[in-house]
Amino acid sequence: MSQIFSKSANAWSKASILGLLAVVVGIGSLLPLIQRSDFVTTANTFRDQPVQFSHQHHVGGIGIDCRYCHTSVEVSSSAGIPPTKTCINCHSQIWSTSPYLEPVRASFRDDKPLKWLRVHDLPDFVYFNHSIHVKKGVGCETCHGRVDKRPLIRQQNSLQMEWCINCHRNPAQYVRPRSEVLTMGYTPAVAQEELGPKLVAEYKIQSLTSCSVCHR
Amino acid sequence: MSAEQQLDINAIRAKLQDASGPHYWRSLEAVAETPEFKEFLNREFPANASEFNDPVGRRNFLKLMSASLALAGVSACTVQPDELIVPYVRQPEELVAGKPLFYATAISLAGVATGLLVESHEGRPTKIEGNPDHPASLGGTDLFAQASVLTLYDPDRSNTITELGEIRTWASFVGAMRGALSAQTSTKGAGLRILTETVNSPTLAAQIHEIVGQFPEAKWIQWEPTTRDNVRGGTRLAFGEYVEPVYDFTKADVVLSLDGDFLAAENAFGVKYARAFA
Repeated sequence: MSQIFSKSANAWSKASILGLLAVVVGIGSLLPLIQRSDFVTTANTFRDQPVQFSHQHHVGGIGIDCRYCHTSVEVSSSAGIPPTKTCINCHSQIWSTSPYLEPVRASFRDDKPLKWLRVHDLPDFVYFNHSIHVKKGVGCETCHGRVDKRPLIRQQNSLQMEWCINCHRNPAQYVRPRSEVLTMGYTPAVAQEELGPKLVAEYKIQSLTSCSVCHR
Repeated sequence: MSAEQQLDINAIRAKLQDASGPHYWRSLEAVAETPEFKEFLNREFPANASEFNDPVGRRNFLKLMSASLALAGVSACTVQPDELIVPYVRQPEELVAGKPLFYATAISLAGVATGLLVESHEGRPTKIEGNPDHPASLGGTDLFAQASVLTLYDPDRSNTITELGEIRTWASFVGAMRGALSAQTSTKGAGLRILTETVNSPTLAAQIHEIVGQFPEAKWIQWEPTTRDNVRGGTRLAFGEYVEPVYDFTKADVVLSLDGDFLAAENAFGVKYARAFA
C-alpha cells in the first residue's frame, strides 16, 4: 500500500507550524505599532486652517495670554475657540486691510462663522474636562506642546488612552504649580521628583483611573 | 392570480345576488372559492418562498454571513474623521461653551403666568424648571410647563409668514391686510373677528383694544380649550366682578374640596398650592 503522505509532507508541516507562529507574532507586534503610529493618531501632522493664524506670533511674539481667546478653559469642559469678534477686536484697527485676514473680515461682515479644523480631537465617547486639569496644575504645554513656537498648531501627542492613563497613573511626574500652568518652556525650580509629590498632596490630586471618569 | 385563470364573473355575480348578512371577503378569488385560492390559503408560505434546496449554497451563505458578522467590528479601525470647530461670529454675553445658561421666563396658560427657569445649551432650550423666586412657581413646575419645552421644537411652528402654505413677505402680508381691513371700514368692522387665547399681557390687550376701537362692530374673542371662564363666572357671582381667587393653604387645617382639584396641573396655581399643601 502506498504512503498517504509524501516525503515532503514532513517539511511542509514543520514549515507551516513555524510559519503560522511567525505570522501570528508578526501581526501581533505590527498592529499595535501601527495603531500608535502618527498616521493613525494624526499626531505631528500640520493641518491647513481657513485662516493662517500663527500662535507663534500672537503668543510667542506679542505675548497674548491663552485665556484671552480660549476663555472658558478655567470654568468649563471646553476651552472654546474665540468668536470672530475676538479677532476683530484688534484687527479692525491693526492690519485691517491685510489679505491674510480677508476670511476673518468676510466672516464678520457676512455673519458667517469661520470653520476651523479640529486639531486636538478626542473621540466622542470620551469626556474631557479642561477646567479640572487646569485647576489641578497640568500645564497647557504638557498636552499641547510649545504653542508659542508653532506658526501652525499640530497635535503634539497621540491623545490615545494609553497616553492619558500614563499621566493619570503618575501625576507627580507632570504636575506643576498653578501659577505656572500657562507658562511655556517651564522648568521646575526644584527637581520634579521632589516637587511633584508635594504638589499632588497640596492640590489633592487623585490618580483617577476608573473607567467612568472619562467614559461617561 | 395567474393569467390563465379566468374568474367566472357571472358565477360570482350569481353567488352575491342571493347573499345577505355579514359574510366578508377580500378578493374576488375568495368569493369564487377557486381551488387555487383554497391552496393559497392553506399553505403557510407561498410556493417557491421556502425552497433553498442547494446544500452547497447554504453553506456558502452561512460562511459569508458569519465572516461579515465577525469582521463588522473591524470597520472601526480607521483614522478618526476630521471634525470642524465652528465658533460664533459674535458670542452672546455670558454664554460659556459647554455650560448651560439659565433664562428666567414665564409660561402663560389660560391667562395665568407661571415663572420658569429655562436651561439652554448654546441657545437650545433643553429643560424647564420652576423659578424659586416666582410666587406662582416656588421652584416647581406642572406637566404643562414641562411639556412646553417641546412647543419650541414643534415642526409645525411657523418660521415665516405663510399664506395658504406658501411663504410670503411681510410687505405682502401688510398689503393683503390693508385691503381686507379697508373693506371693513364701511361696516365699522362688522365682519372682523379677532380670535386669541386668553391674553394677560397689558401691552397686547391695549393694542387689540385699539384695533377694536377703530372697528367698533368687531369682536375680540378670547378662547382656549381649557378656559377659566367658569372660574371667572363664579367669582363674578360671588364678588360682583371678575377676580381671580388665590388660596392660602398654609392657613388651613382641613380642606374640603367638592370636585375642585386645586392641586391639578390644569388649575391656575396648582404648583403653588401643591407646595403650600405639602
